[in-house]
Amino acid sequence: MDELTSVYVQESREQLAEMEAGLLRLEQTPDDRDTINAVFRAAHTIKGGSGVIECHFIEHFTHLVENLLDALRNDEIELSSAITTLLLECCDHMGHLVDTLAAGTPEPDPTLCADGEALTGRLKDIIAAEPGRGGSSSLTVTDDTVEVENLGNGVVNTDSWHISVRFGRNVMRGGMDPLSFLRYLGNLGEIIGTETITDAMPAAADMDPESCYMGFEIRLQTRASKSEIERVFDFVRDDCDLRILPPQSTVTDYIRLINELPEDNLRLGEMLVRCGALTQAEVDAGLKAQHAAEDTPAAEATAPPLGEILVESRMVHKEIVDAAVNRQTQIVDKKAREAQLVRVHADKLDQLIDLVGELVIAGASANLLALKSNQSDLVEATSILSRLVESIRDSALQLRMVQIGDTFNRFNRVVRDVSKELGKEIELSISGADTELDKTVVEKIGDPLMHLVRNSLDHGIEPVAVRLERGKRACGRVSLNAYHDSGIIVIQVSDDGGGLNREKIRAKAIERELIQPGDNLGDKEIINLIFEPGFSTVDKVSNLSGRGVGMDVVRRNILALRGTVDVESVEGQGSTFTIRLPLTLAIIDGFLVGIEKAAYVIPLDSVVECIEQKNLTGDRNFLNLRGEALPFIRLRDIFEIPGEAPARESIVVVQSNGRRAGIVVDHLMGEFQTVIKPLGRMFAHLRGIGGSTILGSGEVALILDVGALVNLVTRAEEERLLPHRHTLALASSSTNSTAIPSGR
Amino acid sequence: MGQISTSSAAAPTGGALAVHDAPSQQYLTFSLGGEMFAVGILNVKEIIEYGHLTEIPMMPTFIRGVINLRGSVVPVIDLSARFGGKSTEVSRRTCIVIVEVADDDTRHDIGIIVDAVSEVLDIPASEIEPPPSFGARIRADFIFGMGKIAGKFVIILNIGKVLSVDEIAMLTSTEGLSADSAAGTPLG
Repeated sequence: MDELTSVYVQESREQLAEMEAGLLRLEQTPDDRDTINAVFRAAHTIKGGSGVIECHFIEHFTHLVENLLDALRNDEIELSSAITTLLLECCDHMGHLVDTLAAGTPEPDPTLCADGEALTGRLKDIIAAEPGRGGSSSLTVTDDTVEVENLGNGVVNTDSWHISVRFGRNVMRGGMDPLSFLRYLGNLGEIIGTETITDAMPAAADMDPESCYMGFEIRLQTRASKSEIERVFDFVRDDCDLRILPPQSTVTDYIRLINELPEDNLRLGEMLVRCGALTQAEVDAGLKAQHAAEDTPAAEATAPPLGEILVESRMVHKEIVDAAVNRQTQIVDKKAREAQLVRVHADKLDQLIDLVGELVIAGASANLLALKSNQSDLVEATSILSRLVESIRDSALQLRMVQIGDTFNRFNRVVRDVSKELGKEIELSISGADTELDKTVVEKIGDPLMHLVRNSLDHGIEPVAVRLERGKRACGRVSLNAYHDSGIIVIQVSDDGGGLNREKIRAKAIERELIQPGDNLGDKEIINLIFEPGFSTVDKVSNLSGRGVGMDVVRRNILALRGTVDVESVEGQGSTFTIRLPLTLAIIDGFLVGIEKAAYVIPLDSVVECIEQKNLTGDRNFLNLRGEALPFIRLRDIFEIPGEAPARESIVVVQSNGRRAGIVVDHLMGEFQTVIKPLGRMFAHLRGIGGSTILGSGEVALILDVGALVNLVTRAEEERLLPHRHTLALASSSTNSTAIPSGR
Repeated sequence: MGQISTSSAAAPTGGALAVHDAPSQQYLTFSLGGEMFAVGILNVKEIIEYGHLTEIPMMPTFIRGVINLRGSVVPVIDLSARFGGKSTEVSRRTCIVIVEVADDDTRHDIGIIVDAVSEVLDIPASEIEPPPSFGARIRADFIFGMGKIAGKFVIILNIGKVLSVDEIAMLTSTEGLSADSAAGTPLG
């Protein structure tokens, strides 16, 4: 895929997202002109781009969509729920088409084509149903207006072509004289008027006399066809911006021209003069058109009353003035936004992060050597260096941070579609949309979130009748919330639905042999059973959820991101699913410990304190920590490392999911910036080790997964002491572990 | 040690591309427990000296550990143990051969421990016999064929099978469980 196409694909996806968001907004406020204009613009941009990269299947389809949007924009068709649904489907289809383009396939596959045909048919039906449009696929809108104009008294002076041309900077360098084109144009017919546009001209000091800064607005009366006019500019076709409006063009077309004009600091009046909209005859005709439009009920909403028609030395259409004003504010907005953003390819960022990772490792190695050398100057220099590396690491990781808002906003559509399908009334409320987290995490959290939201919609929110019976509002509410909490990000999906039925879950778990009837489980344990594989409480399998694959997949995906998920629920009042995720997947702060010669890294955020203990022998693996019985794990035993433990051992007190435990090691080696290197699929089943990292010495050290390690030991002990609870122990073992992904 | 074997392997590797029209392929031969084995040269990425190995706990014995190969972490397999024999003793000539195996659409680098690397040989297809149905004391699907070199047989390995990531991952999971219960014993 060449660069142009990939830029187009990316931009189209953004425009599609905007279009979808706009359509959803329109559903709430059907009269919002700004929104419908935004939707139209998005579609128009997609179409325009597809023309440039010569992707005709997108162009054709989008053209039809644009026609319908245009009709909506001009109030020729009233926006109904059916149309919104159709347009949303069109959005999806355009998305698929863009995917097809991105995949490099020359044509969409047959099923997609069939979908496209069906949608095309429906689009055409709606457009055709509207009197006055008669299924015309041309974009020359408001045909009826034109008719009215002509029916008036025939003095309308729109029988000349309007040509806007902006020459590129290099035209004169290429040996072309812009004037010669105008002269040649004169051969085709009569040039009624020209306006020279010199807005692009920089200050005299900055001006390059060899560059061409000019543009022209030309009115030409001719019998020549559009292609003949275009041919005049053939020699500079690649290096100029040419727009041609045919005779009989309407106000709408001129508005579009204003919107497309490249100049940004245009003074309003000049802009209108240039558009040729200010010829007296035209203004008269335009006024007549408006009078006529007022008589046409469909167009009533747009036709501004005469009093509002702006008089600025001459009379102009309000629509045109508005468009010009809009255009000016838009330019300001756009400029401000462009200044803030730089588009960077994600691969480049990844490469930077990788390099920073290597830098961190190399820095650690330099530090190590400096310490060994015992030269205080060198030690100081390297410590400054490593502080800088640390800040580079932080800002590099910051680059990858994106707001979760876009992910959240996708669910507006899901909620709308699903609630229609289920016949429920559900609203989505979003908070914390500006919370930032790692791009990789954002990409991977979409699916689990989708499962949770669908689950809330399908199982959580009750049908309207039930809700009313329970004294709740008819309209259910699903909320998405995100916030930072000391180095991790918390995402919550909550609903005000029926909540989880503990008895039902219990019965189901017994039926599925996840627990034994005699098991005594806590409240939290019971409701978290829904994350077990093969668990589903709804008897009826809907096409949304209920296949029993949902929740355990959710948990697996989140575990793979080193995160956790749990659920809280109050019966009759709703449930809240809470996902906790690390901010980044690439680099963590670690605490380096050693046993014999091997080094291990404990994630620093799980370390509470370190204590030293003499003669830690005895049968029991717990100690008295300020009155608390702290169980501990001997790494030497569990990892089967040969050799005798030294007389003084160190215990690292760690905390994971509210449980504390000690890890007994030989010696402590201090903090260490840890670049996580996944161990690969071969070690996918390895529990207790979350990944690996490379030390300054070049050796590989293993990163301990504290939660999993504690679970491992707990399970082993439970298995030995309570053989009858075997199944449950297995099933619940991974509930709270934090796993480091085995592959990035 | 490491340098010697690296240089002896590097020269013929470069020539591998030239010999393309002949129906013979090049193989890297090495010794392991007194026997000669061969792997297709196209699978071999490099040969490095044995050392700096980090052991991974709770893994079957044939997974010796991981090494840092210029910034990426590569697992190292003890072939002898993988074939069901005893672990390889590390000697002066012990090397790690880094091979690349394709699995679905991803490629993995895996190191194998060998006693000594000998040479790169051309073995024409006509000189490769099918493996014996039994008697080689190695799983039959691990053997690609028996190459005849100067009247002697070398076992040409089907390295994709020997180092099948899926199979090894499966083996580690069962091993991991039994290691858990083993680890549970000293606790309490």
